[in-house]
Amino acid sequence: MTQLIAKRLVATGAVLLALTGIVFLLQKLSPINPVHSYLGANASAGAIKVESKLLGYNRPIADQYLRYVGNLLRGNLGESLRTRRPVTTDLGAYLPATLELASFGLLLSVMLGAILGLATSRKSLGGGFFRVFMLLGASTPPFLLALFGLIVFYHDLNWLPATGRTSLANPPTGPTPFLTVDTLFHGEWFGFTDAVGHLILPGLCIAILPAVSIGRVFRSSLVATLRTDYVRTARSKGLREIVVLWRHAVRNSLGAALSMTGLQVGLMFAGVVVIESIFSWPGIGLYVAQSIPFGDFPAIAGVTLVLGVGYVLVNTVVDICQAVADPRIKL
Amino acid sequence: MAVAEPYVAPSTGTVRGLAALHGISRRMSRASMLDRAAIGVLLLITVMAVFVPLIAPYGTDTIVGDAFAHPTWHFLMGTDDVGRDIFSRVLYGLRTSWFSALAVIASGVLVGGSIGLVAGSAGGWIDTVLMRFTDVFLALPGPVLAIAVVAALGPSLPHTLLAVAIVWWPFYSRIVRGEVKALAARPHLNAARLAGVGRVRLAVRHLLPGAIPATLVTASLDVGNLVLTLASLSFLGLGAPEPAPELGAMSAQGLPYLLTDWWVPVMPGLGILFLALASNLAGDGLRDLMGER
Repeated sequence: MTQLIAKRLVATGAVLLALTGIVFLLQKLSPINPVHSYLGANASAGAIKVESKLLGYNRPIADQYLRYVGNLLRGNLGESLRTRRPVTTDLGAYLPATLELASFGLLLSVMLGAILGLATSRKSLGGGFFRVFMLLGASTPPFLLALFGLIVFYHDLNWLPATGRTSLANPPTGPTPFLTVDTLFHGEWFGFTDAVGHLILPGLCIAILPAVSIGRVFRSSLVATLRTDYVRTARSKGLREIVVLWRHAVRNSLGAALSMTGLQVGLMFAGVVVIESIFSWPGIGLYVAQSIPFGDFPAIAGVTLVLGVGYVLVNTVVDICQAVADPRIKL
Repeated sequence: MAVAEPYVAPSTGTVRGLAALHGISRRMSRASMLDRAAIGVLLLITVMAVFVPLIAPYGTDTIVGDAFAHPTWHFLMGTDDVGRDIFSRVLYGLRTSWFSALAVIASGVLVGGSIGLVAGSAGGWIDTVLMRFTDVFLALPGPVLAIAVVAALGPSLPHTLLAVAIVWWPFYSRIVRGEVKALAARPHLNAARLAGVGRVRLAVRHLLPGAIPATLVTASLDVGNLVLTLASLSFLGLGAPEPAPELGAMSAQGLPYLLTDWWVPVMPGLGILFLALASNLAGDGLRDLMGER
């Protein structure tokens, strides 16, 4: 087991190295000269040349890459061309909101996916309705969902807020990055319900697409499990269908759905960028969406690295969990 | 099914592949109404996309009336903030979305498929190296990387397509390699080898055809995802610049008018929904026709 985990961790390290390599190459490809932007728009060609040498931009590529990785490890991601602050500082300010939204979205998509998978695996339970729901869910762009949500639940019904993370002027900053937890921690009940209300629309918008994929995989593995001999045995023992389902079938069908969940996190991150910019959610998605028109590559690279590392780590944890839960799996 | 070698099980390998392709027209007549309708709609979209300039009632940049005119028979989807006909722009946008998605899928199948074919048929260290390379790409979040690639190259439609193509191939390389590996163990491959067939001919004539059905089904189920991903990138401003009729970008530019003139941002989004729905239904239909899971 330890050996398996060690092997998986080595692979994760290699993937992370590749990620930094790709981002580094993109930085080299991008038309923005970091030295030029560092010195300002009026820098003379001579000054740029001198500074390039000083900052090591005239060294061999491999050498520059090693320095780049070294800087990353020290938490130095360069300076944003738009905000003129270190990217690390910006990310620190924007990341908590994204963490909260993405966690909430992931929770929603797993719950929705489980419901969809269970409902469509059976003939009864309105399977047809859920099938149509899944097809529509898989075909609707997240931003269209957001537009509908805003029109119906904000404009027409006025049930949910449209933008931001909270209505409080001075939201508590507490022990965790999560506003929902912090407000509870400080005993602000209104703040808590308000924060949850702000989460619902954007959370749903990023959750639907992943939920459909999770539901599909869960359904097909559930259907396969329900056809196996041991399930037939359980049924012929006279067990009630619900017991057969929960005790015997669901557990053995979770594996594929779990790895699909890990993979869907990548899709969800892309959704986060779009949805945050619609709902003015103060997270790194909004940050990157605002950086795009400025061609602010250091900021975009920083967000790419953070989301990429998050995705790789989530999938590593999922794989290890699966290997621990199911000894048949070899990493 | 015309099977020459009697020892090849009729439902396996190359034979299955060719038969599946051959049998499509025959099975089409037995397909469900929905499957037929979806594939028909998709063909219709393709034909319409080619002839958009003849179909669209107005040009993409022509100011045809007042700004923010409600959807009426005259302007089916209303007009936008400068008085352009949204319906015409959505038609042109559908063409861009559809052809972009097809181009990226084609490149994914071509690049990923070639890598998978070489890896699967060569085996040994070539297989290991190529598949490790593929795994690294599979382990990274594609859509997020695509954003970074476009941002580095500068926003434009070709750059967006290139960026998505870069992250879209690894999946196909896995699928083709898997099919090829499974096929390589079949008796007809041994027969071909004994008959002295060369490596390249073995790969192209005896392995590749067997991998086609699975790849085709995967690709057709994948087009819907790709349409959505491209639309999201366009929504973020990572597509053709301003006046170009791109559905995602049109929706994003119409966002400020959502609560007063809803049709400006919503109609282009509905266009995406329509295209993705048609391709998802057609993908399901094609899967049923080919008898694959």
